[in-house]
Amino acid sequence: MAKGRELKGRIRSVENTRKITRTMEMVATSKMKRAQDRVVAARPYAQALSDVISSLYSPDLAERFPLLRQPVKPERVALVLLTSNRGLAGAFNANLIKEARARITELEGRGVKVDVHVVGKKGLGYFKYVGRALATQRTEITDRPTAADAAEIVEQLMVDYVAGRLDGVYVVYSKFNSVLNTPPTTDQVLPVTPPSKKDGASAQRDYLLFPSGEAILSELLPSYVRNAVYRALVETVAGEQAARRTAMKNATDNAGDMLNVLRRTYNRARQAQITQEIAEIVGGAAALQG
Amino acid sequence: MLTVSIISPEAVLFEGTAESVVAPAFDGEVGILTGHAPMVTLLGRGELRLGTNGNRFEVEGGFLQVLDDVVRVVTERARPA
Repeated sequence: MAKGRELKGRIRSVENTRKITRTMEMVATSKMKRAQDRVVAARPYAQALSDVISSLYSPDLAERFPLLRQPVKPERVALVLLTSNRGLAGAFNANLIKEARARITELEGRGVKVDVHVVGKKGLGYFKYVGRALATQRTEITDRPTAADAAEIVEQLMVDYVAGRLDGVYVVYSKFNSVLNTPPTTDQVLPVTPPSKKDGASAQRDYLLFPSGEAILSELLPSYVRNAVYRALVETVAGEQAARRTAMKNATDNAGDMLNVLRRTYNRARQAQITQEIAEIVGGAAALQG
Repeated sequence: MLTVSIISPEAVLFEGTAESVVAPAFDGEVGILTGHAPMVTLLGRGELRLGTNGNRFEVEGGFLQVLDDVVRVVTERARPA
């Protein structure tokens, strides 16, 4: 019963794989839950910052803040691509890389030089493969990105932007709208687009400002940029875990389907062999009696 | 009573009420009681105190906003002291 043994081996192998994918699914689910909590926890800060900036900001201030400078004709921009360090997350990284590539092509088509900064091993692997030089690369960002990580990524870019060496900074990341909706997204973090004023509410109150509205803005605009990057980091981690969970759930389901087919084939082969043996015995007995 | 929240990029560290807030502004301490005029001030580095013997936090940078007895402390670096 050579075929039977072979089938048994495959069944065992698929069962083991399913155990692994099921475990990974559960791990990803719990990591996603925590990452999702961090996305939610980051909202009040962003909200508070936007509120105050929008109530202090007026368009005529734009020229006085280098971070708000609107370049007439951008010559060189930076693109920061956030990817994960680990794979087995379905098309997660591929989608992010595709989005980044589309942006790069579009910008270069307009004659803009693009510095590519990559976070995450998966993005690095791709650009190494296509042989494109990267401005910076990072793989030390963990599943728990901190505000300090974000600051480190964007600090130099802000300096370059203020000095006029860069005319724009884009971040490509995975937006976390919901567990099932994490589209790859490109946000322009520099020049800063000041949050728009919401009508009524706190926007139009006369605040006492210390030391002055301008001083406060010049302090808060960099915070706003850092926070945009921090949120991108956090949302990307959540998106990664969501993508991994979906991928592993599919793998587990597929393994189950495969097992059904294999088991059926195995049982059929076993049954056929038994039937054949009985037929042989009956046949043999009949021959002896005859 | 003032409604106070202390917000860092990663999380809301404190949310609740206090009779008073003493915060390290960029140029010295600032004290806030109920009925304070709307204000936004930059923060320096130091200790933030809620009430007379309540919670204390170490903060550095960021700003403090007062509006209608709601105090928001928004800072990149804050931790309970």
